[in-house]
Amino acid sequence: MLVYGKTTRDMDTSNPAAFVNADLLRLYVGKRVRALIQVVRSDGGSVVGKSTDDGQIIVKGNPPVPPTNFVEVIGVADSDKSIRAEIWTNFGDAIDTHNYNQLCQLANSDFKHLFI
Amino acid sequence: MFSSSQFDSSTPFSGGGFMSSQSTQANDAAPSPARGRQTNRLIPVTVKQISEADHSGDEKSNFVINGVEAANVTMVGMVFEKTERNTDVSFFLDDGTGRISCRRWVNESFDAKEVEGIQDGMYVRVNGHLKIFQGNRQIGAFSVRPVTKFDEISFHFIDCIHNHLQSSKSRQQGNSATQPETADASLSTPLRSGSNGYQTASSSLSQLSGQISFDAQKGCDQLILDYLQLPSSSVKEKGIHRDELSQQLKIPVEKIMESIRSLEDEGLIYSTIDEFHFKSAA
Repeated sequence: MLVYGKTTRDMDTSNPAAFVNADLLRLYVGKRVRALIQVVRSDGGSVVGKSTDDGQIIVKGNPPVPPTNFVEVIGVADSDKSIRAEIWTNFGDAIDTHNYNQLCQLANSDFKHLFI
Repeated sequence: MFSSSQFDSSTPFSGGGFMSSQSTQANDAAPSPARGRQTNRLIPVTVKQISEADHSGDEKSNFVINGVEAANVTMVGMVFEKTERNTDVSFFLDDGTGRISCRRWVNESFDAKEVEGIQDGMYVRVNGHLKIFQGNRQIGAFSVRPVTKFDEISFHFIDCIHNHLQSSKSRQQGNSATQPETADASLSTPLRSGSNGYQTASSSLSQLSGQISFDAQKGCDQLILDYLQLPSSSVKEKGIHRDELSQQLKIPVEKIMESIRSLEDEGLIYSTIDEFHFKSAA
């Protein structure tokens, strides 16, 4: 946002990424999301991932090389089953998916206002 | 390991170390208990919460988040646009709810070393002072540390939710000091109305608050034991009734019973004429 030639960019909440799992992804088609997935396989140009609620999410793009077992993707949901990734982050080989999944549920229900 | 409570007494902004409760000076100058304690804490927040926080506009006063003064905060997010200057390093922290500008002053080699390893695209934990700088909301960071175990990310956001619930509850109760051991009750109430999936969420949150209130629980055990070991108590053959313990120690009966069960298991106390009267085994 430009004001008299000076950029005022103190904070910007215009482009949040909602926490999703396979079940919640359908609520954000066309919108920016973030998801923790376990890499099942890479098929040239996309990754098949297991979501934290044991569903499947296809992530389009190129994962980090080499990817760890768990990866967080941030991007735009281009369907109710897939995400077009902008940012990939290796989350290591072990993580508590149960915690992350409950966070997804909380961040999309009673506490949504703290996030998006 | 990820708890923010370890920073309680060590913030550089605590005014020369006179904030300990043992100092009588602090008691005279301190504001109401809940607020005084809160402004020394690192409050876990999201950028969204900061963007909606109240602020009077006066550079000297604090932000207010959910009714609580938030001077120092802890956040987790991704670094963008890291810019190094002579005296400071600045960057944007993007935590998925928004982006906020952060500035880390570099005065000593310790500071320089800390920020050296920070790169764009990295997840970091930032602890700092929330302030307004040239009209913009900003974090004056006193600590920027890379995240190495990624459970820290889900932990942080769950911590934000937990903190939000605690301050909501103490808002409802007026100005009474928020005791950690009441967090369990406050956490399960709003979640009960959800579907089945949320009930497991409440147990994970109460596990989290269970860890945080663990020390408070031990404190409660000790208070009861101390009371039962008083000469006035040991003199009574039939022991002390649990309601008397609750009234005298100002602890809710459920908490008293929890402590009593664990003290009984350890063989430190025993029941006498009925299951409500107890004596110390010492």
